[in-house]
Amino acid sequence: MKPGYKKVKRMTAFMRINHWVVAICMVAAVVTGLYIGHPYYQTLIAEPAVDKYVMAWNRWVHLMAAIIFDVSSIIIAYLYFFSRFEKPILKILPTPKNVVEFFMVFLNLITFNRVKKFDSSHADSFNTVYFLIFHLLLAWMLFSGLQLYVHGLESGHSSIGDWWPAVLHLATDWTVPFTGGTYMDVRYWHHMSMYFIIVWVMFHIYYQVWRTIYWQEGDIAIVFGGSKFVKKD
Amino acid sequence: MDRRDALAKMFSAKGVRVNTNRGEAYYEKLRETMEKRLNELRQTPAATKMDIHKALDAEGLSRRDFMKWASAITAMLMLPASFTPLVAEAAELMNRVPVIWIELQDCAGNSEAILRSDSPTIDELILETIDLEFNETLMAAAGHQAEAHLDEAMETFKGKYICVVEGSVPIGAGKEWCTIGAKAETFEEHLLRVAGNSAAVVAVGTCATFGGVPAASPNPTGAVGVQDIVKGKPIINIPACPANPANITGTIIHFVLTGQIPELDHLNRPKFAFGYRIHDNCERRAHFDAGEFVEEWGDEGAQNNWCLYKMGCKGPMTFNNCSIVRYNSGTNWPIGAGHGCIGCSEPQFWDKYAYERPMADANIKAPTGGVEKSVDEFGLGLLTAAGVGIAIHAAVSVAAGKKDEE
Repeated sequence: MKPGYKKVKRMTAFMRINHWVVAICMVAAVVTGLYIGHPYYQTLIAEPAVDKYVMAWNRWVHLMAAIIFDVSSIIIAYLYFFSRFEKPILKILPTPKNVVEFFMVFLNLITFNRVKKFDSSHADSFNTVYFLIFHLLLAWMLFSGLQLYVHGLESGHSSIGDWWPAVLHLATDWTVPFTGGTYMDVRYWHHMSMYFIIVWVMFHIYYQVWRTIYWQEGDIAIVFGGSKFVKKD
Repeated sequence: MDRRDALAKMFSAKGVRVNTNRGEAYYEKLRETMEKRLNELRQTPAATKMDIHKALDAEGLSRRDFMKWASAITAMLMLPASFTPLVAEAAELMNRVPVIWIELQDCAGNSEAILRSDSPTIDELILETIDLEFNETLMAAAGHQAEAHLDEAMETFKGKYICVVEGSVPIGAGKEWCTIGAKAETFEEHLLRVAGNSAAVVAVGTCATFGGVPAASPNPTGAVGVQDIVKGKPIINIPACPANPANITGTIIHFVLTGQIPELDHLNRPKFAFGYRIHDNCERRAHFDAGEFVEEWGDEGAQNNWCLYKMGCKGPMTFNNCSIVRYNSGTNWPIGAGHGCIGCSEPQFWDKYAYERPMADANIKAPTGGVEKSVDEFGLGLLTAAGVGIAIHAAVSVAAGKKDEE
């Protein structure tokens, strides 16, 4: 470590593993989801159908990525309130302190780091709210996706029991009237929300790299090593 | 149903599952109910001279054909096989159930589908033997005579007749374009009057159930379905364009048998008919899983009966029993004939299902309203905008930004 700097822990090992699992699932879900929405490559016509199973594998990967996402989301939702490391909820509540910090970090971004009037060593309100947007988008994908999934379980049975489709109906049927009243609307918004998530990811990556370059505190290392480095006062 | 009602129903939506094994006691009780009901019906005088056996004889169909049909309907209604004689008896008593069939804003396609086949199926013959008291398309009477007959039928069978409705109800600015009779009754008034005295209302076809084609954007007449107008009556929706005669017969037989309406899903459709997704019983499903798609009409895939998903088939989003029951006595159905499903039994199908492209390529109104864009075009626009914004921020950061000193 450079003299004059101190190490600040920002992400636990679990948070980092979760981040990369989610990142991989995201790529997998987008790649396979685009295929499901509009199959964009041809399968080899000469192969017998039984050997291809292309759509089925795409759906398998998509649904596997989704269920990993779902489990991760439940854990993250829990950590929002009960994390023993940092409770994100404390940074989201619109307290005067958080509001000021939110706008100061935003000001820092739009003044290209010419104004920096906040403590950048800990998680800030701006980034936490930004993550909240992501988690809400993800929750939306979870509910709308499970609604689309349960359409295939119309028998009311599933390999793990009848409770599963029943729970899915209870938890996700509201997405139909919410999006406009038809199953097609749910699909439409599930597909549309993917683009919002990609936009979110684009800015997220850009912003973390930008912070690393302009703040000179090694922010990009947080997601790998769990720590960043800030000047000792 | 407006959005507010729909949201209120948020957690009340039912699954489509029909429990087909409810135990001995349940079916015993059901049998008693049905026998009692059929006895009552037998006491009442037959309203028409036509009965099913005459109709069968005229078409050269044997009793064996009839019993085969009865067991198929028993299975469709998800009753145990031992109920077959009861179903056959109900079919024989169909001429004691008064039906008033009214037509509103539609093409009469549902009537046509039932009536115009050259070799009528038993489903269609059953509908010929029902005590049809009023039907604009079929009856000989016209003008005041027809009006008088309607009034008389409604009075005679008050609270007992089934009101079958075909066609949507205009309630918007254009409602005065559609009137019936010398008193210029609007369709809405006509429907409310006839439905008011009925035992149950059966909305047949997608226009009557969800507004259908007349309700397609921009919906010039403000067309809605029957369930949006008629309140406080049991309503059964049998959508599809046209509704499958098998499903209409099944529903009416169920009513004859039990005096009650069948188990319905959240869109008031009988679960025995709309509890299946087209996609899951489709004969081309294996090609979907294999990723073998028709890419354009008449190509190699089309000749090999491959999956029509990329030609815009909406089987994966549509609940109906077409892929099992098919049309015209199981002769064929749209996907069997090489065209994808257009989702005709779902609400708002003309705007949201019937475009012949996969969903991702569909031109649907963007959230801003106005401009029609496909989801992917909109999404790429969004990504471009975000990319440009990021590029500008990055460029200005490089030019004018201030790096913290190390």
